[in-house]
Amino acid sequence: MGKRTIIPFGPQHPVLPEPIHLDLVIEDERVVEAIPSIGYIHRGLEKLVEKKEYTEMVYVIERICGICSFGHGWGYCAAVEGAMDIKVPERAEYLRTIWHELGRMHSHLLWLGLLADGFGFESLFMHCWRIRETVLDIFEETTGGRVIFSVCKVGGLRKDVDAETLKKMSTQLNGIKKELQELTDVFMEDRSVKNRLCGIGILSKKEAEELCAAGPVARASGVVQDIRMAGHGKYLELGFEPIIETKGDCYARCKVRLREVFQAIDIIDKAIKEIPDGDIIVPFKGNIEGEFITRMEQPRGEAVYYVKGQGSKFLERIRVRTPTNANVPAMVKTLQGCDLADVPMLVLTIDPCISCTER
Amino acid sequence: MAVFKIGKVILRSLFKKPATLMYPIKPREWQERTRGHIEINEKDCILCGICAKRCPTLAINVDKAGRTWTIERMLCIQCGACTENCPKKCLLMKPDYTSPDVVKITDTFNIPETEKKTGKTSSGSGGAPVCDRETCIYCGICAKQCPCNAIKVDRKEKTWEVDENVCISCGICVDKCPKDSLKID
Repeated sequence: MGKRTIIPFGPQHPVLPEPIHLDLVIEDERVVEAIPSIGYIHRGLEKLVEKKEYTEMVYVIERICGICSFGHGWGYCAAVEGAMDIKVPERAEYLRTIWHELGRMHSHLLWLGLLADGFGFESLFMHCWRIRETVLDIFEETTGGRVIFSVCKVGGLRKDVDAETLKKMSTQLNGIKKELQELTDVFMEDRSVKNRLCGIGILSKKEAEELCAAGPVARASGVVQDIRMAGHGKYLELGFEPIIETKGDCYARCKVRLREVFQAIDIIDKAIKEIPDGDIIVPFKGNIEGEFITRMEQPRGEAVYYVKGQGSKFLERIRVRTPTNANVPAMVKTLQGCDLADVPMLVLTIDPCISCTER
Repeated sequence: MAVFKIGKVILRSLFKKPATLMYPIKPREWQERTRGHIEINEKDCILCGICAKRCPTLAINVDKAGRTWTIERMLCIQCGACTENCPKKCLLMKPDYTSPDVVKITDTFNIPETEKKTGKTSSGSGGAPVCDRETCIYCGICAKQCPCNAIKVDRKEKTWEVDENVCISCGICVDKCPKDSLKID
């Protein structure tokens, strides 16, 4: 048995886009234990609810995360709409579903790039981000923003998209499908990539369930868990079925996300075909009284939104629980017993979003 | 297992145009909807101050006495709340971003005097609203919605008053009246 040493990992580290700190207890080259600590990027966004009216709070909530910004805005609006019993028009729900899936595509493509960068495959990283640019352009054309969209509003949406733009969107997305397939082949078949991903950081189904893993991490371990099945948005009408892999290693987590990108294109295609005409916003009156909780499937997994009001235009409390929060225990588990060189891969494959987690 | 799977993609990229632009030599193309920066059409502004009230980041400041409209560009988050709520639609969202700078930019616009006080404004509408007492139900919505608190409604006494010196003829009361009893000539 070798001598135990503690190696600090982060908060500043080349593979980490956001700050998280890990104390890695090392024995020879093997990690025995990993102790995570967060708290480097807390911004106190939930506290702002005391100063911003509940309708204005959407702008703050959208800024929780720069990647799943649309999903957060939608989650908050859905919680407020639930508390006030507002029925959102059909067309708005379809458009929200389309934008949410676009958000998933751009999040997963960003992550695939970061993963490629993490294992030192720079050109693959660049190509992933090049394809992601198409999705960002679609966002800019339809919402007016590339990262922060400001289209979701309590009661519906602020901008409509005409049929012509929707058709163009569908053509553009199907256009990148071929390029995506080529990159998928690289991720799934290239020897150097497989050497870094296959059999690394295995999380069994039992462990994933016990540690309450969420999103693609849980689905890669064979846990059938996707909040889109619970019926938010128009996923049930669009015949959504979750993507499941069973191996539970880094390769499976990568595969789940790759397949989800293709699935997102199919969902958007179907939604564009089925989208009804009509209003995109419904008028409402009054303030929130009581509390409401809702769940939303973000690109990284299940997020929970809670709102509580006492009849004034300022809410008393909001609470967001983000998927990374749920995935940290799973990450710590997979880190136990891994090689030091694999630590960056394992941290990356839960797709950590620390800004979300700390808000 | 395959080796050098990315070869095909790299080979094709070698003979294609670069995916990136030579920015800033080649300027960026803006989309029609891009939320770049806020512009004001000073002629139509009536200094009602609704934009300043609705701004979630308090980036807009309206000085009624000094007749200026000020925006702090670095505070503005381009949410579009001001352009949506402007009763005169004199605020516009323009697609290009403000140019980068090393200091925080504050833009101040002087709002020209309108001819309202002498009778009519440049756009043709002006003066205070007039209430049709026969249809008015004294609900008080106009008084609540008035950005300058120029209207006073007493439900019990059935009185409706407007202070013509305070009124800015924004027309919000006319829009909000459930009985269409209000008019601005």
